[in-house]
Amino acid sequence: MNRIAIAGKTGIKQGLQLCKICGNYSLQVEHPTECPICLNEISQRKKNSLQKTWAFLITSIIFIFPANLYPITYLLKNNTLYPDTIFSGILSLVDSDMPGIALIVFVASIVVPFLKIIALAVIAFSVQNHWNLNPKKQLWAFYLIDWIGKWSILDLFVISIMVAVFDKGHLLSVYPGIAATSFTVVVLTTLFAANNFDTRLIWDAQTDE
Amino acid sequence: MKTIICRHCDMVSHVPNMPSGYVAKCIRCESVIYKNSWCSPSGMLALCLAALIIIVPAFYFPLISIHLLGITEGTNLLQGALMMIDNAPVVAFVVLFCAVIAPTLLISSIALSSACLTFNYHPAYLPKILKITYILKHWSMLEVYMVSLMVAIFKLMNYADLYFGVGFYFFIALLLLNLTIISNYSNHSYWERYINE
Repeated sequence: MNRIAIAGKTGIKQGLQLCKICGNYSLQVEHPTECPICLNEISQRKKNSLQKTWAFLITSIIFIFPANLYPITYLLKNNTLYPDTIFSGILSLVDSDMPGIALIVFVASIVVPFLKIIALAVIAFSVQNHWNLNPKKQLWAFYLIDWIGKWSILDLFVISIMVAVFDKGHLLSVYPGIAATSFTVVVLTTLFAANNFDTRLIWDAQTDE
Repeated sequence: MKTIICRHCDMVSHVPNMPSGYVAKCIRCESVIYKNSWCSPSGMLALCLAALIIIVPAFYFPLISIHLLGITEGTNLLQGALMMIDNAPVVAFVVLFCAVIAPTLLISSIALSSACLTFNYHPAYLPKILKITYILKHWSMLEVYMVSLMVAIFKLMNYADLYFGVGFYFFIALLLLNLTIISNYSNHSYWERYINE
């Protein structure tokens, strides 16, 4: 039922399309919208990949401001409320002589989200404007941000542990603040942005010489 | 010879005959395009069942116990997420999903598809299970939770005395099993087996 693909040429040039879910390929002309093997939806490239990536990226850029400016946790101690932003939390870790932990939290909750947004934006721009950057380097940059992306959830897990441990009412409690929700939105939208980006576009944008 | 299209750059490559445990890389972008896992579906089923047994105590028993204001109390994985539902429902849901729901569903779905392939049983829902596995793979974040737990422990050491709970040891065992399962599972070869049988 399938024509065998010739190695060393791209699928799109041979009129073939790959099913991302089952990993099999089929002729685009014969099965334009449905994979003949697993019956899932199929297309030569992810549909509207760049638009979706940009939409999620812009959302994450908007939410990164409240995430960093508003308090992420409130500590209630003897009836007094102490707010903590992401950055002040890191500073207090440095003050209490834990530079290693401070570095982990700094990388996971500040460096990773910013780096991810910038790197994805650069890759998306270079694909759109045919900048002809080295495709392999772009792909490895994408792999890196895809892999480190999930580590920014770290801060949310830490908050959940803190909330569970400190639950002594007015004597000693921790509550999540507005920034916790904004930060969650940032993490989710950057994950979705990376998921919606089709890395094959990097190669499509290369002008053949 | 069998060919395969790279999902990362669209280049077509041959699939060589490889010994088990080896991977094939794309000729253009050098991403892994084919895994020949040493673990058969029956081995995978055994790993998944072990993980599913361990998952219950790992989530239910306290990970750490803390001595605070004269009381020693244990905290388990579920508590933290459930206590945030009123104040920050989005955060609570994401924590619950990435640390509890996604890993449990992922291991269950791999167990189910492995069982189907091991016993040569092809129900109509098997393609759906394989699709769910493919999507959930991104969302299982047990290793991130482990590092978060270590960060929290270091932060808490300033305030109070800490003890590791029983759940902590189960959690480590779960983490190791989960890593073995994820690194050996190949969606593509499961589809191949499903189609060929």
